[in-house]
Amino acid sequence: MAELTYLQAISDALRTEMRRDKRVFVIGEDVGVYGGAFKVTLGFQEEFGAWRVIDAPLAETAIVGGCTGAAMMGMRPVAEMQFADFISCAWDHLITVAAKQRWRVGTPVPIVVRLPSGGGFSGGPFHSQNPESSFAHVPGLKCVCPATPEDAKGLLISAIEDPNPVLYFEHKHLYRRIKGEVPEERYTIPIGKARTHREGDDVTVVTWGAMVYTADEAAQQLEADGVSVEIVDLRTVLPWDKAAVIESVRKTSKVLVLHEDTRTGGFGAEIAATIAEEAFEDLDAPVKRIAAPDTPVPFSPELEKAFLPQVEDVVAGLRDLAGY
Amino acid sequence: MATDTGVDVVMPQMGVSVSEGTITKWLKREGEHVEADEPLLEISTDKVDTEVPSPASGTVTRILVQEGTTVDVGTPLALIGDSLAAPADEPTAPPEPEQAAAEQPAEPEPPVSPPASAEPVQEAVAPPPPSPAPPEPELPPVSPAPAEPTAAPESVNGKTFVSPVVARIASEHGVDPQTVPGTGRGGRVTKRDILDFIESGERALAAVPETPAPSPTLPPVSVTPPPASTAAPTPRVPQAAPPSSPAAPPAPSPAPAPVAAGGETLEPMSAMRRGIAEHMRRSLDTSAHVTSAIEVDMSKVVGIRAKLKSEYQSTYGVNPTYLAFIARAAVTTLGEYPYVNGEIRGDMIVTRGYVNLGIAVELADGKGLIVPVVRNAEGLNLLGMARAIADVAARARSKQLTPDDVAGGTFTITNPGGYGTFHGTPVISQPQAAILGTYALVKRPWVVTDELGEDVIAIRPIMNLTLTYDHRLVDGALAGRFLRPPPERLQTWGETDY
Amino acid sequence: MAVAQRAEPVGSLTEVREAGLDQEDLLQIYRNMLLTRGIEERGHILYRQGKIPGSFYTGRGNEAASVGVATAMGPDDVGAPLHRDMGVHVVRGVEPWRIFAQFMGRADGPTHGKDGNVHMADANLGLIAMVSHLPAMLPVATGCALAFRIREESRVAIGWFGEGSSARGDCHESMTLAGTRALPIVFVCDNNQWAYSTPTHLEYATEHVADRADAYGFEGVVVDGTDVLAVYRAAKRAINKARAGGGPTLLECLTLRMEGHAVHDDAFYVPKEMFERWAESDPIERFRTWLQTNAELTDEHEAEIVSDVKKTLNDALRRAEESPLPDPETLADGVYATPEDLETPHHK
Repeated sequence: MAELTYLQAISDALRTEMRRDKRVFVIGEDVGVYGGAFKVTLGFQEEFGAWRVIDAPLAETAIVGGCTGAAMMGMRPVAEMQFADFISCAWDHLITVAAKQRWRVGTPVPIVVRLPSGGGFSGGPFHSQNPESSFAHVPGLKCVCPATPEDAKGLLISAIEDPNPVLYFEHKHLYRRIKGEVPEERYTIPIGKARTHREGDDVTVVTWGAMVYTADEAAQQLEADGVSVEIVDLRTVLPWDKAAVIESVRKTSKVLVLHEDTRTGGFGAEIAATIAEEAFEDLDAPVKRIAAPDTPVPFSPELEKAFLPQVEDVVAGLRDLAGY
Repeated sequence: MATDTGVDVVMPQMGVSVSEGTITKWLKREGEHVEADEPLLEISTDKVDTEVPSPASGTVTRILVQEGTTVDVGTPLALIGDSLAAPADEPTAPPEPEQAAAEQPAEPEPPVSPPASAEPVQEAVAPPPPSPAPPEPELPPVSPAPAEPTAAPESVNGKTFVSPVVARIASEHGVDPQTVPGTGRGGRVTKRDILDFIESGERALAAVPETPAPSPTLPPVSVTPPPASTAAPTPRVPQAAPPSSPAAPPAPSPAPAPVAAGGETLEPMSAMRRGIAEHMRRSLDTSAHVTSAIEVDMSKVVGIRAKLKSEYQSTYGVNPTYLAFIARAAVTTLGEYPYVNGEIRGDMIVTRGYVNLGIAVELADGKGLIVPVVRNAEGLNLLGMARAIADVAARARSKQLTPDDVAGGTFTITNPGGYGTFHGTPVISQPQAAILGTYALVKRPWVVTDELGEDVIAIRPIMNLTLTYDHRLVDGALAGRFLRPPPERLQTWGETDY
Repeated sequence: MAVAQRAEPVGSLTEVREAGLDQEDLLQIYRNMLLTRGIEERGHILYRQGKIPGSFYTGRGNEAASVGVATAMGPDDVGAPLHRDMGVHVVRGVEPWRIFAQFMGRADGPTHGKDGNVHMADANLGLIAMVSHLPAMLPVATGCALAFRIREESRVAIGWFGEGSSARGDCHESMTLAGTRALPIVFVCDNNQWAYSTPTHLEYATEHVADRADAYGFEGVVVDGTDVLAVYRAAKRAINKARAGGGPTLLECLTLRMEGHAVHDDAFYVPKEMFERWAESDPIERFRTWLQTNAELTDEHEAEIVSDVKKTLNDALRRAEESPLPDPETLADGVYATPEDLETPHHK
């Protein structure tokens, strides 16, 4: 076991796989010489060479589409989008070609696209988004959102192993702030399985990514009120662990869905609708959602604070639910 | 049959408490022409005899109910075809509202407690005289009641709002959420509340009961249950509960804890006890409780029962209890008195074509009460009734009742007489309109007419029957009339009757 | 100002031999062209009979370009042909009955009814199925070439695109990546001069699409797309070059789209003279004449070939019509791949 930051865990996973399997290669803007905008691939080109750590032109469609072609030829490409926000440039390729190839013609597309996502550091509208809900809507893709270093490593390895296109949302704000124990050996975390981050009896919070920590802080405050909060970290948004969520709802009968992405059409809506549909008779309160408001991500810290769900927001929401 | 185009002539309601009317005379025959407003038939009701004017002009195409038949208010009596407009006026004919006031309004009855004190309570019963009395303008119960009927209140309005999970748990356990103390917003029952309630009830029921069932006396049955009626969260209480307060952390009792004075002992009320207390109070607050009583000479039944007993036991494995006989007689009579089997819902009166008979069952040392329901009791004969009662009683005691078993009761029979009491005034199980009490069979000196037509004293087994009824719906006269047939049936029970 | 080279026509049989084709090869090419046209003509009839749902596209006039390039591919090379490139499927060995089954949306078609038209490909034959968003397959073909480069395999990827789709970013990005990295890919532009109703001068501002190649750092060649041998030779050169590490080529095959964009389009916007002029240059006619002139193709032999093709098509059609309609229960099958799906020759 080693104590690694979230970022180090991601690097560790990538390095482990590249050492183990020659088919794995990395391609993206500034990933080679520069080591990646966030230094996830620092030292990689020295170790693996320029043809396995490829500095791509500023051309997301070519990057992601190129990965698809290479994957069809037996490689296991891992593309890095410099910011998750730029995935919109390759959106067409992902949903038109990559997502549909297996279903249409039987050809699997085992690619991974790493997406540094999320806000909290004045990144502004184009460097702070959480675009998972756009892709959660596309059959054929998978979307994972680890919150802990341990999950970050295991899920990236699973993503590389998975024969489907996997979008890997790594939350930038967790990169260096979060440390955790990470097994040194190679291991996988199953895609599609949630994790109980915190056990509780009175209210359930369903969340993922950086919001897991926001929820946790809020839960600690609620504990002092005598309210026991359970936190379910989805870890995968598509396919999401419905069974785990329903089980928790059956236990507590009160649920708050929390995500950093904006509210309308955010993935929380799917979760809330499913809970209402399948666990109606287990509900002791309406299903609540807390999410960012329906605006682009603002730049100025004052505004960003009003945009991102804060601990106080979650505390208030939980208190409201608990007292219902 | 012919097309239905035509105007219905229906039995009018001559006064609020009138539930039925009898056709005394048709003034027109089938095929005859009648003008709108022209008298069409004569009827007789509890309150008044009157003519019914035709709602339309046209031909009497069909007469549906014959002279001499008594039908419920609203029953179609005839069809008038080829009518020309004439929106029927309510035969709210004459100024015949009610003579409600004539009877004593319900006095607050002392809540009946189980077996204990059977005070020879004063009968706050109305004298029976049917009809006459000058009509007085009724207090309109029909007014836009502040009572919101169904529809759950806009927001969480206290007790009346039941969340899905609470509704489900209530249904699964046969608990009426209305009886559960609530700590949620606005006093609503939360999941925790109902689970606690059930748990404490289960602890109470843990010590299971003795008496399987029938003994020569009536099954030990107790009074006034906190019945589990339909799980549907229809507000029973016309008044709104106190508005919700902003969410506070769920704290149980806000009231300051009572203190024991010297010589006193304090024990906490169990959740079940609290539930019972709440329901009793609410029932008395809701219904206008009045009790009428009548005595029954059970000698015939005693004899028949003795004859049937061994046959029933050996062939059917069931005891033909006195309760079965009484239930049979009562259910049959209910068919003729729908209001006694009815319900006030908002400002509507609900009547049914069926009787779901609640049988109050006491559980273990007065720790619990439950009222399982025999559904469609009107379709049961004596044997069927005996079986059904035995079955629900047994299952009640062994905690094997299903949610359906405790829901939907329309009338209840209770027996406080198992301990020897000869009279009582049970509390009505909401939202029903009445509850029949049966009491100890007591040998009394009784005046009978001998074969020479002379009055002599005989020793007869006499049982008192009470009907506690909601005077909002059932008047004393009606109650009195209802109470006549059952004793008659019991007193003339034939060997071949069933 | 034209920058691209012009490929010369192939004159004699000797030149042909130099290009690596013998008599048999030539006759096979001829047969493939006939088969290509025959499949599409048959399909057109089926469509008008209501047996093919949706829409129907043909590559009439592109038989030489598609067959020519495909014939130049090596067995381990891969390509992503488009809807005018039926000839590529034929040359690579896709059975005609499967093509008909695909058109008719039958369960035995390559996509089992999940996609239609020529949105199909047999991965075992080194083909990648196209999508509607064009030229979305160019980044994919470029990625294949990238894989070959990373693994230092002497395989080449072929990416097809139309002159219309050359306007779109995918084309530029692919060529940028391929050019900067000298990847082993040949970009084949089917320039049939009309993108639906849009003429070439509204799709690109240079004289040829191939003129752009220079901007990406590689060679552009324009060839008469109705001359199968000229196409073959130009394609062979480009493929060999790529295989040898010489990087990409943009090969532009010039033809005229002889039918509408789809068969529901009567192409009223194409001047009659254009149709007339290019009809004189019909690829199959041209090649027959050349074979008769330069390769001693007799009438009998030709008739044999024609009759054989006809029989093949009849058999194929019959077999396709026996294939059942897809079971709705299979709708959700295969949305996600399983590890077993990776057991293919390509995913080593």
